[in-house]
Amino acid sequence: MKIVVPCKVVADDKDIVAAADGSLDFSKAKPIISTYDLNAIAAAAELAKANEGSSVKAITVCSAAAGANTKLRKDIIARGTEELLMTADDAVADLDAFATAAELKKLVEKAGGFDLIVCGDGSADLYAKQTGVQLAAALDVPYLSEVISVEAAGEKIVCKRMLATEVETVEVPLPAVIAVTPEIAQAKPNSMKDILAAGKKPQLVEAAEDPAVAVVETVAIKAPAQADRACQLFEDVDEFVAAVKAAL
Amino acid sequence: MKAFVLAETESAARELCAGARTLADEVVLVKFGAPVTGVADMCLTVAVPEGAVADDAYVTVNAAFDAQGASVVLAEPAASILSVVGRLAAHLGTAAITDIQSVSDGVATSMYFGGVGVREAKATGDVAVYTVAAGTFDGSAATGGDAVEELAWQAPASALVKVGSEQLPPSDVNLQGADVVIGCGRGFSQEDDLQMARDLAAQTGGELACTRPLTEGVDWFPREAYLGVSGQIIAPKVYFALGLSGQMQHMVGVAKAGTIIAINKDKNAPVFKQCDLGFVGDLKTALPALTNALA
Repeated sequence: MKIVVPCKVVADDKDIVAAADGSLDFSKAKPIISTYDLNAIAAAAELAKANEGSSVKAITVCSAAAGANTKLRKDIIARGTEELLMTADDAVADLDAFATAAELKKLVEKAGGFDLIVCGDGSADLYAKQTGVQLAAALDVPYLSEVISVEAAGEKIVCKRMLATEVETVEVPLPAVIAVTPEIAQAKPNSMKDILAAGKKPQLVEAAEDPAVAVVETVAIKAPAQADRACQLFEDVDEFVAAVKAAL
Repeated sequence: MKAFVLAETESAARELCAGARTLADEVVLVKFGAPVTGVADMCLTVAVPEGAVADDAYVTVNAAFDAQGASVVLAEPAASILSVVGRLAAHLGTAAITDIQSVSDGVATSMYFGGVGVREAKATGDVAVYTVAAGTFDGSAATGGDAVEELAWQAPASALVKVGSEQLPPSDVNLQGADVVIGCGRGFSQEDDLQMARDLAAQTGGELACTRPLTEGVDWFPREAYLGVSGQIIAPKVYFALGLSGQMQHMVGVAKAGTIIAINKDKNAPVFKQCDLGFVGDLKTALPALTNALA
């Protein structure tokens, strides 16, 4: 089975700082792979392992700087994928789901086609859960979201998906796109051996050719308004308990 | 101007139609399952055939959109509807702006990085497609007529096949209605330690909630108990933030609480900048004392 995993590069949000003027400061935030895409890579690697003769390739549409980041590239490819294909160009960084899907479609073709595309549940920045379905639409193939388990069954896969009140079992004819929830597979940190081996795996990093045009424009990004709170701190438990009792 | 609403639940149908009416003169509701009347000018229903999956309704829905036309689409952020609205956006050559909390002059606001920021975005094309967070619009304000029509199901060429379904046990977690919510984070290193939080909950009539690691990492809590990005936003009178660091992604879910009381070993934990009262120290010291004192 030819498996492709799209992954998104995002700023590490633990280092995004709200500045005093209400803007967000990204200068200290390193580029990382969006958290749930790590689970998608792990799920794809497990599925490939369970089905002999399978391959897993990672594809990424990102900024030129992210494409030039060797550590980031190794981190993606060390996670059980055998090749990384990147469109690294500021013209395609931070595009909406429609335009991103158009760029991902080109990468899927460069990767030599697919039987199954495994996407993460949603990205850390927007959590829109739209890129997978947009990619399925661009490729005109079936799409299933919220997948918690996947098994190959010949020309199709059998997935369980978690909805609000039920777990559905769904047969998905291949080729197809699925979006998996983080529970499907645990993302382990890379071992030194994985990282060293990653350096030898093929990586294709190219600028965008005839880049897709954004259909959604970001007007502004601001820090959220925060409520003023007393922030009265105690180290003595009796004083703390008394203060809580008085407040309730 | 015309609005096209996609909904699965009745409450979302009401809220979204009420919101649609503020953006457009005419409102067409596409409702999965039973119709909802009195909220739109026309209710088009989608019945998913046996063995089919609701996500595959996109052929049917795209055709209905083409027949109706509209300049704004409002959709409920339910799993299957997110698939259908994504396909509709692709069909229209646009992308959905998701989980919007407000929209004005075509500019919609959503959370960014789970609440670290707020993003304002705008569709550049002829049709704006939004998914709308619950509670954004007042469902009781919806107005409309009785017209109902069932759409004929059109299956895609390569269709999903539903071969089984298992009902999940009904959840007894009700964070939305609770006056007191007790949030537990990674500071609870063993499941047994949660008994201290349960005791405090029993004493205060509170509901237990948790941060993401405790629903996805270790499975101590059901998903409904999770607060934060992709979770829910609540406004209890009192929120206890226990053994949790106070990452923005979690705190955004409780920012509307009346009083926030935090306990954490780390005096530099961000939660102490967002609480009313805080105890710097061990949960095992503070929780039993607190539970006793509130008896």
